[in-house]
Amino acid sequence: MNVQIDNVVKRTRGYWFVDGFIEMAAGGLFILLAGIILFDGYSPEDSFPSWFLSIAGEVALAKLFGILTVVLLLWWLKDHFTYPRTGFVRGNRVTSAQVLIILRNMILFVLLPISGLLFASLLISSGNAILSSMPAWFPIGLGVLWAILCLLAAEWLGLRRFRLIGIMTLLAGMAVGIWQLTIGLTEFPANTQMEILHPAMLESISRTLASLGMLVLICGVVLVLSGVVTFLRYRKENPTPYEEDV
Amino acid sequence: MKNLSSLDRVIHEPARLTLMALLSSVKSADFLFLLKESELTKGNLSVHLTRLEEAGYVEAEKTFRGKIPHTEYRLTAKGKTAFEQYRKSLGSIFNKE
Repeated sequence: MNVQIDNVVKRTRGYWFVDGFIEMAAGGLFILLAGIILFDGYSPEDSFPSWFLSIAGEVALAKLFGILTVVLLLWWLKDHFTYPRTGFVRGNRVTSAQVLIILRNMILFVLLPISGLLFASLLISSGNAILSSMPAWFPIGLGVLWAILCLLAAEWLGLRRFRLIGIMTLLAGMAVGIWQLTIGLTEFPANTQMEILHPAMLESISRTLASLGMLVLICGVVLVLSGVVTFLRYRKENPTPYEEDV
Repeated sequence: MKNLSSLDRVIHEPARLTLMALLSSVKSADFLFLLKESELTKGNLSVHLTRLEEAGYVEAEKTFRGKIPHTEYRLTAKGKTAFEQYRKSLGSIFNKE
């Protein structure tokens, strides 16, 4: 009985995703970010710090205005499309205790394991080897991390399609990593010092950004597709706004 | 048997339990959302919501969205406590057996 109650609670939590708008919007934002990352490729004529700062600035601006636009668009779409069909829900306000729990879990289950893995890899390998292989391990690691987040969200919201999105993200991360391995990793000369921005290092960073861009692009496309499928199903089930008798 | 009889009869009815569960995870929800999610008829839903209101577990707020009447329901503090208590009682019954 408690399990059935839990399912009802989860279904209510997942109501925000019932129409697919959030996935479409998030996917669109991912594709925009991927575009910025992929098209602002590093060229040797640029100075590295200015190129890196410019790309970081553009990504930050795109995130800021993108999220603002997405929030306004979602608010309008929900108000005009979803609420008249399947009703309005006001979510619980997130308490400071909940924020602290989320932060604690992020530190315990995400930041500490990543730091531990990085530290362990530094012990068994050189800094140059880690940097040269970064275009391969970075997308794989990020894919694993996002997949875990998607699977946790699937469990929390009771949405099975998020499991599929998680698996797709994992596969995308692995595919991008393998693609970078197949085209060959950057060779670092034996005497390369970490303090100096060696061309090989810059190439490795540039390729890592390309990997990140590819992963973000694939995830964006997956999210948009998932959102479109969800939206079509929702529209089929709820073709017209509901008329409440007065 | 004593545990079973201690279950809150207002909440124990399946339709009202569903409504309490739906409202427990949100701040408030409107009539249409509860109607769609509970799959009750309008008349049945109204009756059960009235019963929950009479018990002091749910409160309603009537507003207008444009020209359309809009009624939002939320659990009261008493309702939240009663629902938590009900879940605990239910859990303890099955754990003891």
